Amino acid sequence: MKDISKSINKVDNEEKISGSAKYTADIKIEGMLFAMTLRSSIRKGEIKNISYPDLPKGYYIIDYKDVQGKNVVKVIFDDMPIFTEKKISYLYEPIALVIGPDKQKIVEIIDMIEIEYKEEEPLLAWTDSVLDYHFDKGIGLKAFDEADKVITYDYQTGYQEQAYIETQGFIGYPEGEKTTLIGSIQCPYYVKNALIQALGEREENVRVIQSTVGGAFGGKEEFPSLMGCQLAVAVKKIKKPIQLIYEREEDMLVTTKRHPAKINFEAAIKDNKIYGLKAKVGIDAGATIGLSGVVLSRALLACTGAYTIDNLDISGNVYRTNTVPNGAFRGFGAPQMMFAIEMFVEHIAQDLNINPLEFRNSIVAKQNDLTSTSGIYRDPILMPEMIEKAIEVSNYLEKKKTYSNPNIYKGIGMSYFFHGCGFTGSGEKDTIKARVKLRKTKDNKAEILIAAVDMGQGVKTTFRKLVANILEIGIEDVIFNNPDTDFVPDSGPTVASRTMMIVGGLVARATREIKKRWHEKEFIVEKEYEQPEYIKYDEKTFKGDAYPAYSWGVNVVEVEVDKTTYQVKIVKTWSVYDGGKAIDERIVFGQADGGLAQGIGYGYLEVMNHKDGRIQQKNMTDYIIPTALDMCDMETYLYDNPYAYGPYGAKGVGELTLVGGAPAVAKAIENAINKRVYKIPVTPEYIMELIDNGKN
Amino acid sequence: MAKIKFKLNDKTVELESDINRRLLDVLRDDFSLTGPKEGCGEGECGACAVLLNQKIVNSCCTPLANVDGQEIVTIEGFSKTKRYQIIKDAFSEMGGVQCGFCTPGMVIAAESLLNKNPHPTDQEIRIALSGNLCRCTGYNMIVKAIKKAAKDGEGLW
Amino acid sequence: MVKSLIAKSLNQALEALDNHSYQIVAGGTDMLIQNRSHTGMPIGYKQDIIYINLIDELNYIKEDKENIYIGANTRLETILESDITPKILKDVILEMASPAIRHTATLAGNIGNASPAGDSLVVLYLLDCKLEIKSINNTRTVFLKDFITGVRKIALNNNELITKLIIPKTNFTNIYFRKVGPRLSDAISKLSFAGGYLIENNQIKDLRIALGAVYITIIRSREIEKEFIGITVDELVENKEKLIKAYEPLIKPIDDQRSNRNYRKKVALNLIKEFISKIEEA
Ligand SMILES: Cc1cc2nc3c(=O)[nH]c(=O)nc-3n(C[C@H](O)[C@H](O)[C@H](O)COP(=O)(O)OP(=O)(O)OC[C@H]3O[C@@H](n4cnc5c(N)ncnc54)[C@H](O)[C@@H]3O)c2cc1C
Ligand code: FES
Ligand code: FES
Repeated sequence: MKDISKSINKVDNEEKISGSAKYTADIKIEGMLFAMTLRSSIRKGEIKNISYPDLPKGYYIIDYKDVQGKNVVKVIFDDMPIFTEKKISYLYEPIALVIGPDKQKIVEIIDMIEIEYKEEEPLLAWTDSVLDYHFDKGIGLKAFDEADKVITYDYQTGYQEQAYIETQGFIGYPEGEKTTLIGSIQCPYYVKNALIQALGEREENVRVIQSTVGGAFGGKEEFPSLMGCQLAVAVKKIKKPIQLIYEREEDMLVTTKRHPAKINFEAAIKDNKIYGLKAKVGIDAGATIGLSGVVLSRALLACTGAYTIDNLDISGNVYRTNTVPNGAFRGFGAPQMMFAIEMFVEHIAQDLNINPLEFRNSIVAKQNDLTSTSGIYRDPILMPEMIEKAIEVSNYLEKKKTYSNPNIYKGIGMSYFFHGCGFTGSGEKDTIKARVKLRKTKDNKAEILIAAVDMGQGVKTTFRKLVANILEIGIEDVIFNNPDTDFVPDSGPTVASRTMMIVGGLVARATREIKKRWHEKEFIVEKEYEQPEYIKYDEKTFKGDAYPAYSWGVNVVEVEVDKTTYQVKIVKTWSVYDGGKAIDERIVFGQADGGLAQGIGYGYLEVMNHKDGRIQQKNMTDYIIPTALDMCDMETYLYDNPYAYGPYGAKGVGELTLVGGAPAVAKAIENAINKRVYKIPVTPEYIMELIDNGKN
Repeated sequence: MAKIKFKLNDKTVELESDINRRLLDVLRDDFSLTGPKEGCGEGECGACAVLLNQKIVNSCCTPLANVDGQEIVTIEGFSKTKRYQIIKDAFSEMGGVQCGFCTPGMVIAAESLLNKNPHPTDQEIRIALSGNLCRCTGYNMIVKAIKKAAKDGEGLW
Repeated sequence: MVKSLIAKSLNQALEALDNHSYQIVAGGTDMLIQNRSHTGMPIGYKQDIIYINLIDELNYIKEDKENIYIGANTRLETILESDITPKILKDVILEMASPAIRHTATLAGNIGNASPAGDSLVVLYLLDCKLEIKSINNTRTVFLKDFITGVRKIALNNNELITKLIIPKTNFTNIYFRKVGPRLSDAISKLSFAGGYLIENNQIKDLRIALGAVYITIIRSREIEKEFIGITVDELVENKEKLIKAYEPLIKPIDDQRSNRNYRKKVALNLIKEFISKIEEA
C-alpha cells in the first residue's frame, strides 16, 4: 500500500481555480426574493413600540410573531432569541427580516419602520458572571503554603474576527411541505436541529445542504443557526425562495468573534520550580452565553500549556455584557490561554534568573504525566525532539543571543503548545454520538455519507483518499458530495479538530467492513462512535481524560521592530508539529501555514475593539488581517506520531496550528525590544508604551 | 441609463443599463459570471478582481461607466488560455487553494503580474498579491505557486 | 435616481460642468466606496455624476525643463512605471493601496478626496505641487496647499475640473517618504512623513518636511523650514531639539479606529528626528 501521507491534487482544485465552484451567493433560483435584517439601534433596553409601514405587494416583514416553534436558537446554552420580542441586549440585535424582490425597496421599507425604545445604560464591565467553573489538581491551593515565593502577573487578549473572505449567507426555498436551506456552514446538523425547534417541524420537513464554503474558522459553527432559523421561518411562511446574505459590514458588526479574555496567574515557587499554579480566567461572552461555557472549559483545560504542573487551582468565569455575542473561532479558548501561560512561564524564569529555555524544557509534559484534569498523557510525547529540531532549523540560540542587544531591534520567539483533539470531555460520547454511513454501489464505487464539511481544509480530498487507500481503488471511485441532511447521517459538526480523528476513524472502520463484503452488489454500512474504554471524564469536577488524544507543536517566529515607528515585520517562521499521521502532507502544510498566519495575526496585528458597545472596525479596511507582504516564508516540519484510534494514526491539526502563533510572535517582540509583553495584539501603539515605560 | 459596449472575454457585448452599477454586479447578475466574488465590496480583498485592458482591477469599485469601450477578462475567460493551465497546475501542485474563495482573484493577480514581469522575485510576487486577501493559506504556498508558474510557463509571458 | 454622464473629451466634460452641477468620478476608488449601497444595487450617489475616467487627453505624463506634468486621469500604476516620475513619487505610489487599485486610481482623485490620510498629498506638498484647473472659459493654476482647505474640502468651483498636476523639478541631496500604516501594504495611513533636503558645501540650502494624518490637512510649515535653511549641517544637528519643538504644536492628531493620538504624535516626532539623523549621517 502507498504511504497515505504522499500528497495528491485536491479534488476540488479544478472547480475552485476556474471560478466555477458555486458558493452560496452564486446560486440563483427563479423568483428568488431578498431578505435584509432590521436591527436595534440601541445597546440595551426594550422596544416599547414598533410600527411597520403598509407594505407594497410582494413585500413581507417577518418577526418573532412568525416563529411557530420556540423563539430561541438551539446552540448549547439556548439564550439567543431568533428575533427579539422586546428586550434588546446588544447593538444591532435582529428584530425582523424585511423581504421582497427589490433591495432598493427593502431599504426604503426599513427606513420607514419606526421603533420606540426604552433605553437603558448598557453593562460593559465584566461583572455579570453567568458561568463559574473551578477545579484543582494535586494539593491545589495548599501548594502556596509551601511556596518560597509567589509570582503573579495578568495577561489580556483581545477580540479576533474570523474574517473568512466569504461572508455568511443562506438561500432558502420550499420543497412541498419541506423547508430547505443551502448555506455557507460548518455544521449542517446544528442548523437542521435548530430549524426543527424554531419551526416546530418534523425532522423530515427540514433539509439543510452545504454549499461550497469560502472559509469558516469557527465563525460558521453556531452563528449560521441564527440566520438559518430566521430565514427558515420566512420561507415557511412566504413559500418562496429567499436569499439572506450578509455584506461585509453587517458580517463584521453582528457575527460572533473570539472571546476577549483576562487571565490572572499566581505561581507558587518552590526550589526554583513551579510547584503550584493558580489561574483566574474571565472571558466576555457578549450578550448571550451560547457556547461560551465550552470555550471557557477549553481555555481552563489548557492552563498548563505544554508543561506539567502538579498542583493547580483553576477557576474561570463567563461574563455577560451588552456587546455582540462571541462564539467559536479556531482554537476555541486555547489561543487565549496558550498566550498567557507561555508568557507567564517565560516571565517566571526571568524573575528567577533562570535561562527560560532550560526552565521551560525542564517542565515540558512527558508521556504518562498527569494532565491538568489529572488524566493521563497516554501516548508518547515527542516535544524534546521537536524543540531540538525547531532550534536547529531556526538557529534560535544564536539569534536569541545576538538579538538581546538592545540596539538591534530584531527578535526571535519560540512557543510550545498542544491542542486536545476532539470535543472536550465526554462530548463525543454523550452529546454528539457521531454516525457515518458508507455505501457500496452497484458499479463498484464507494460513497461517503457524512455531515463533515469541506471549508477549505481539504476534507473532500482526505476522506476520499482514506477510503480509496483502504479499498485499494482509485480516488475517482470514491464519491463524496457536499453534505445534505436528506442523505447523510449526523456525523457531528465540523469543529474541534475532530473530523479526521473521530469521523475519519469511523469512516475507516466502515470502509474495512465494506472491503470484506466488496463482492456483494450494493449495501450500506453504518457505524457509530464508540469511546475508547480508557477515556473517563467527569464534567462536573473536571477530572479525568478531557481528550482522547493530544497534538503538539513548536513555533519559532523571527521579527524586526522599527525603532522609529514601532511597526513589526515578520521575517520568517519555523514550525514543528505532531498531529499524528498526516493523511495528506500538503494539506497539513496548508493548515500549518494558514493557522500560523492567523495565530500570528492575532498576536500582533489584528485589532478589534468596541467603544461603549460599538465595534469600531466595521470593514476589511479597518480590521487588518495580514496581506502577502505582511507574511513571510514559512517552514514546517511534521513528526509522525500515530494515534492508535485515529485512521492510519491521524490526530487533529486544524486548530493546533493557530494556538502557538501569538505567544511566539509576542516573545519575538519581547526579544527585540527587551521589554515584557502582557497583552495581545502587540500593536505598535503598545510597543511604544512598553519601550517608554515597560518592564525589562 | 445608457448604452455600454465593451469586450467581455473576447466577445463584444452591449447592454442598456444604469451606468452607476458596479461592474461586479453586471458580471454576476447580467452575464452569470460568478467567478468574480464579493468579499468586501470596498476594494480591499481582491476576490472580485478581473482584468481591465490586461491589468488587474477590482470590479467592486469599477463603475460600469468606466468600462465603456474597454476590454474585460474574467476568470471564466482567462480559464480558456494556456497561461491559465500553467497557473492552475502550479496552484494545484503547490497547494495554493484552500476554501477557494480568493482563488480566482489570485489567479487574475498572478496573470497581471506575469504579463508585466515574467520573472518575478518573491518580493515582487508578494507586492503583486498585496490587494488579494486570503484567510486560509497564509500566502506561502500561493507565492510558491506563482514562482512555479513563472518557471513552468517560460516563454508564455 | 441620479443623473449621470460619461464624458469622453475634455470639452464635453467642461461644457457639461458649466451647464449642470455634477460630482466628478475619475477612477472611482474613493467615490464608489464612499457611496456604496448594497450588493446588486447601483452606487448610492447623492448627487448627479460625471464620469471623466475615459477622457484620454487627460491621461499622460510629460516633462519640460522646469516641471513634470501629470494629466488628471493618469492612473497611479502608469505614473509608477514612467521613467519621468521622480523617485519619491514612485515610493509613495508603491505604498498606496494595491496593484488593482493603482490600475484605476488617480492622483487628481487623491487630491480631490482631500483626506488628511491621502498618501500622495504629503509628497506633493513637499514638492510644491501646483494644479491646473479648467472651466469652459478659464484656466487657472493654484498651489495644492491652497487648493485643499480642510478635511474633504477643496477650492474647486462647480464648473471646474482639475486637468493636470504640475510638479516643479527640484534638486535634493536626499528626499524620502515614510508611510506608517496598520500593516505593511494595502492600508490607510495612521500617519505619514516626507522630508527632503539639499546640502551644498556643508550648508543647508533647502529643507522641507511634510506630515500626513496628524492634522486636518497635511502639515508643511515654510516658516519653520526657513529658519533652518542657510545654516550648516552641524548647526542643524545642534538645533535638532529646537526644530522638533517647532513642529510639536502643529501636530494635533486624533484617536480613531486605526490608532491613537499619543502614538501618532510621538511617531511623527520620531520621524522628524530620524530625518535629521539621516542628514547628519549623510
Ligand atoms: C482598497 C483601497 C485602498 C486605498 N488605499 C489608499 C492608500 O493607501 N493611500 C491613499 O492615499 N488612498 C488610498 N485609497 C483611496 C483612493 O484610492 C485614492 O484616494 C485615489 O487616489 C482616488 O483616485 P480615484 O481616481 O479613484 O478618485 P475618485 O474616487 O474618482 O475621486 C475622488 C475624489 O476626487 C474628485 N476628483 C477626481 N478627479 C477629479 C478631477 N480631475 N477634478 C476634480 N475633482 C476630481 C472626485 O470628485 C472625488 O471627490 C484607497 C482606496 C481603496 C478602495
Ligand atoms: S469585493 Fe472587491 S475588493 Fe473585495
Ligand atoms: S483559500 Fe480561502 S481565502 Fe484564500
